[in-house]
Amino acid sequence: MDHIIEIEHLCKSFGDIKAVQDLSFIVKKGELFAFLGINGAGKSTTISMLCGQLKKDSGKISVCGNDVEHNFDKISRKIGVVFQNSVLDAPLTVRDNLRSRASLYGITGKKFEKRLSELAELLDFSDLLSRPLGKLSGGQKRRIDIARALLHEPEILILDEPTTGLDPQTRRLLWDVVNTLRKENQMTVFLTTHYMEEAADADYIIILDSGKIAAKGTPLSLKNEYAGDFITLYGIEEASVKQLGMEYEALRDAFRISVPNTAKATELILSHSSLFKDYEIIKGNMDDVFLAVTGKKLAGGSEK
Amino acid sequence: MTGLFNMIRRNLRLFFKDKGLFFSSLITPLILLVLYATFLANIYKDSFASVLPQGITVEDELLNSTVVCQLTASLLAVCCVTVAFCSNLLMINDKANKNINDFKVSPVKNSTMAVGYYFASAASTLIITFTALAVCLVYIATQGWYLSFADVLFVIGDVFMLTLFGTALSSCINFFLSTSGQASAVGTIVSAGYGFLCGAYMPISNFSEGLQNVLMFLPGTYGTSLIRNHMMRGVFAEMQACGFPDEAMVGIRDGIDCNLYFGGNEVSTGLMAAVLIGSVVLFTGIFVLMNKLKKNR
Repeated sequence: MDHIIEIEHLCKSFGDIKAVQDLSFIVKKGELFAFLGINGAGKSTTISMLCGQLKKDSGKISVCGNDVEHNFDKISRKIGVVFQNSVLDAPLTVRDNLRSRASLYGITGKKFEKRLSELAELLDFSDLLSRPLGKLSGGQKRRIDIARALLHEPEILILDEPTTGLDPQTRRLLWDVVNTLRKENQMTVFLTTHYMEEAADADYIIILDSGKIAAKGTPLSLKNEYAGDFITLYGIEEASVKQLGMEYEALRDAFRISVPNTAKATELILSHSSLFKDYEIIKGNMDDVFLAVTGKKLAGGSEK
Repeated sequence: MTGLFNMIRRNLRLFFKDKGLFFSSLITPLILLVLYATFLANIYKDSFASVLPQGITVEDELLNSTVVCQLTASLLAVCCVTVAFCSNLLMINDKANKNINDFKVSPVKNSTMAVGYYFASAASTLIITFTALAVCLVYIATQGWYLSFADVLFVIGDVFMLTLFGTALSSCINFFLSTSGQASAVGTIVSAGYGFLCGAYMPISNFSEGLQNVLMFLPGTYGTSLIRNHMMRGVFAEMQACGFPDEAMVGIRDGIDCNLYFGGNEVSTGLMAAVLIGSVVLFTGIFVLMNKLKKNR
């Protein structure tokens, strides 16, 4: 699989603050790549450098084989960016906004109308075309932001916290569209998010902490490495659970026992088979991984 | 080219969508005209009448027209620049709202964006300054019309070039601004000071020689004199027809800056126009170049 984004030893400081420190990673073509981190971890700074908006201090950023600093003209036609906040013109209608942006890529006239109708159908905003962007709800605006990023059919879609503050229905729609485009067009998606369930669907995850890579891997490998398993045990007395000598948590009608990994869980079950009549083993989730890696909790955009 | 055309269209649409900005820009020259007519017209008239050569009488219509032409020429000279500063805010708004980020990730060149901002701002400013010019011409017609068709065409050309000059100058200054507060502060300073610097509020012939020499290096001075020359050609011709001696005509022209002297030499209107056009080309070039060379942080 091609390396569509390559970042090597990337550094960026603002005065004394080291926003990004020696960051190196690759993104493969067609994958969903997730960047996790609390506010200030360096995610948006990295994206700004990736999009040619911010000058790096040192290191190398290559997109589709082109150096960002010297060949951004070539890169700009291959990337579509959904910024954290809408950067479209609030007083203009949706159609005018998309027309003005499409023309930047040479998409005009009938070509534009065709692309507009495709995107309006895909993102379900045909009824919003004549409305001023500023009058739309947050979810509606987000759909237009995504349409703008997809106007020129980019190879890479960069999503900077795209679903923060969105209702579940719009989040679902957004991900359905992104997944469809990934399947049909082999589009690569570079995502930063605060939502762990979104990161859990990624092909590869990097967790940033204070501008450095704190952990990286597939969701499974991260869970295996940083989050233990949980055995939920039903229909048993607390005294019996205590006999296991493991850390546990009492639920309404069950007990949840923490084990370091699946092998340990299996060992525990086999050695106390009489107690394990009704149970389930669940792997730790990305929240547990994040907490284990950074010592911090993430919940919908804020550090806890 | 399509991208540039659409950038200009987008910028113009945004300008006219902000009705408060459009109407406040439009109404400013009209308010100034009313204030001039109300408070300054009679003072100018009395002042002009008091310096007339002995033995020469001037009809009221000619006197009124002289004063009104001088006032409206000054007003237009100031407005073409100050209105440009008021209407040339989109570039700053795009920075403040971060909309500029959307253009930066697209293939559009910085220089194309700069030209887009420049033309849109010039077009919106021209609508306002030509409206002000139309009102001024109507006002002149009510007081005494001595302009020829050629004079009107020259004045239209002067307003056009002065507006482009104001747009280019404001573009160069606004390039460094990133918030509407900064833009507002600069607009206030320019509105307050430009009229004095270009010799519109007070003819620079009233200033000390040292200050006059400094002001002669500013292109705005030539713009004001140029528009004043074209606006007042008709009344001067009428004065000469009425028997004004040549020395008196030179005195009047010197007194209201229709004659400008650089290093002791009189500057012709052709040279004034050349300075103005050169300044437009220079400042527009600087603005485009600054955008072209702009580096990310």
